[in-house]
Amino acid sequence: MRRLALVSIMLLTACSAGPAPSEVVPRSGPAPQPAGASTVTAAPSSSASPAPSCDATASLRPGPLPPAGQMPAGSNMERILKRGRLIAGVDQNSYLMGFRNSFTGEIEGFDVDVVRQIAKAIFGDEKKVQFKVVTSAERIPMLQSGEVDLVVRTMTITCERLERVDFSSVYYQAGQRVLVRRNSGNTSVDSLKDKRVCVASGSTSLGNVINRVKTTVSVPNWTDCLVMLQQGQTDAISTDDTILAGLAAQDPYTEVVGGRFTEEPYGVGIPKGQEDLVRFVNGVLERMRSDGSWSGIYWRWLSTLGPAPAPPVARYRD
Amino acid sequence: MVIDSQPRQALVRRVTGLARSTPGRLSLIVVVLVLASLASGWLSTWSVNRQERALEDLATRSEPLSHAAQEVYRALQDADATAASAFLSGGLEPPALRERYEADIAQAQAALSVATASSPDLTATLSAQLPVYTGLIETARTNNRQGFPVGAAYLREASGLMRTQLLPSAQELYRAETDRVAGAQDEAGFPWAPVLVALAFVIALVLTQRYLTRKTNRLLNVGLLVATGAAVLSLLWVTTVSVLVMNDVADSRKASKTVDVLAQARIATLTARGDETLTLVARGAGQAYEKSFVEVSERLEGQLDQAKRLANTEAVDQAMRHFRQWQQVHQRIRGADDAGQYNDAVALIDNPYFDSLDKDLVRAIGEARQDFSDEVAVARASLAGTVVGVLVLAVISAAGSTMGLWQRLKEYR
Repeated sequence: MRRLALVSIMLLTACSAGPAPSEVVPRSGPAPQPAGASTVTAAPSSSASPAPSCDATASLRPGPLPPAGQMPAGSNMERILKRGRLIAGVDQNSYLMGFRNSFTGEIEGFDVDVVRQIAKAIFGDEKKVQFKVVTSAERIPMLQSGEVDLVVRTMTITCERLERVDFSSVYYQAGQRVLVRRNSGNTSVDSLKDKRVCVASGSTSLGNVINRVKTTVSVPNWTDCLVMLQQGQTDAISTDDTILAGLAAQDPYTEVVGGRFTEEPYGVGIPKGQEDLVRFVNGVLERMRSDGSWSGIYWRWLSTLGPAPAPPVARYRD
Repeated sequence: MVIDSQPRQALVRRVTGLARSTPGRLSLIVVVLVLASLASGWLSTWSVNRQERALEDLATRSEPLSHAAQEVYRALQDADATAASAFLSGGLEPPALRERYEADIAQAQAALSVATASSPDLTATLSAQLPVYTGLIETARTNNRQGFPVGAAYLREASGLMRTQLLPSAQELYRAETDRVAGAQDEAGFPWAPVLVALAFVIALVLTQRYLTRKTNRLLNVGLLVATGAAVLSLLWVTTVSVLVMNDVADSRKASKTVDVLAQARIATLTARGDETLTLVARGAGQAYEKSFVEVSERLEGQLDQAKRLANTEAVDQAMRHFRQWQQVHQRIRGADDAGQYNDAVALIDNPYFDSLDKDLVRAIGEARQDFSDEVAVARASLAGTVVGVLVLAVISAAGSTMGLWQRLKEYR
């Protein structure tokens, strides 16, 4: 009798087994990435073809600088003077070189001060500038279309670019290095063979690293690379030490490691064929080297890179 | 179950036998009329009930849900535009903009929880990505406060997430909810089946009356007369009420179309505002935003014209006027920015016309929603009492035909 009761209880409980308890399953979406981020599989076609050889950093010898406000008739400088403002392509995302001061809303930095020196030489007033923000990839198209008078935006002088635009003499000598998370164990570009590296699209840095690392990711701006590094979507950022110093200054958990593995001579980009403007800008740069204003600008922005080196010596081909 | 064929054949024989004699035929007619009366009454009640449910759904579920979905979209869009303008202002963000952003996020969240109750699948992306978005905005803000340009990069990433994932999901949700409103409006359409059945029942009653007149040489049968009257009354009642409801529902469709157009206009307004701001944030690299501004403004103008045709109200007129003033200021902003007077352009963007336009649209949407609600309420009111009335009339019809024929049947005893 008791056994019967036991069996019937067992049967009953077996029959009344409910469904498995429900579970809450989160919907996981893809992690956000900077707009326009993409993986680069091959170097841009222009740099894949054998680079034309030339003496890239040799520019045009400047004559004496005309006094401010009195530009030679018919010159490109006079055209700018008559317009009343210099239109300059700069960056607003490269801390220390060209960036937007979020307190004042003004664009500032090493490159921006170079622009102001040029404006001062034309107008006698360094404020007569209209800044146009350009991405790395937009620099040459903007010069070719004439939307900007010149570009001062961490732009490396290369033979390949010289076929499409003109450059001033070298105003800063940078070199490519890598930025990694502190204590990540990556010590130079050679330790990144099986890693992901972020670069800005249209920069010379891209061609310099693409064959030395496993994966290259490109984004529109250098700060987008820092976003990816902070979000753990890239292991390193590789570009000129000037830009990396600006990125490192925004994140104490990063450090610039390894030596320079390229030479990146910066020049002021000028539309092809405007020889008078090239000579004029070179004159302004000569003055900056000799009157100490170059060193003043260096100290203002780039002192984190070490004591001021001597300004790069200008070389001319004529 | 196996049906025994013996009793069934017997039943058929009894019924056919009955039909051969006049009293038998009369009894059969009573049964058929009573059943027909109850069937017709039941069918009408069912269809009126269905209309009532559809109208109730419109008033209490579909329309509020579609409004919630529209609010999700609007609040998200505005949050993104506001975050961009707060960034543009330089220095510490103005408290008013920060408050507006926070209010938008709170509103989006509240509207989202309303929508989630009914469409959990459609809101999954929104629920999952909204916290990610606000996280990115806060990271942007923290960096911006320290003067780091990487803040702008986080802002761009957040905006990209908004434009590629959150807003398309919100759009999809809104479409689904407006489709549901249209579905409920279709449900409240004209009830053909019950009206045709009721008409057939009236004809059957008239034919019965004629049959009795021929058989008994009495002109009228009072019972049948009452039954016919009740049936005709029921038919007229259901038809009239249905026509009234259809009319109101058609008006409510127009109101919901107006709400839809105005809601689209409001979203276009906010999109254009975001584009206008981001053009300045991009500092000369914002041609894509300006192009979008021009396109969206054209669309907005078309939507305002359409809204004016649908509902020519004072709020819509005001919206038109503020839209034109805003466009004029925009030309001046572009002029200043293109001429290198960036600070002048930034100062001009702080004008009252955008806010006025948005307020006009809110008012116009409120009015159109009230119209919708009124139409649905009128439709629901006209259905009031119909179910009970139709049922009572069906019972009267059944009783009337039974009594009328019973008198005749008694004469054969």
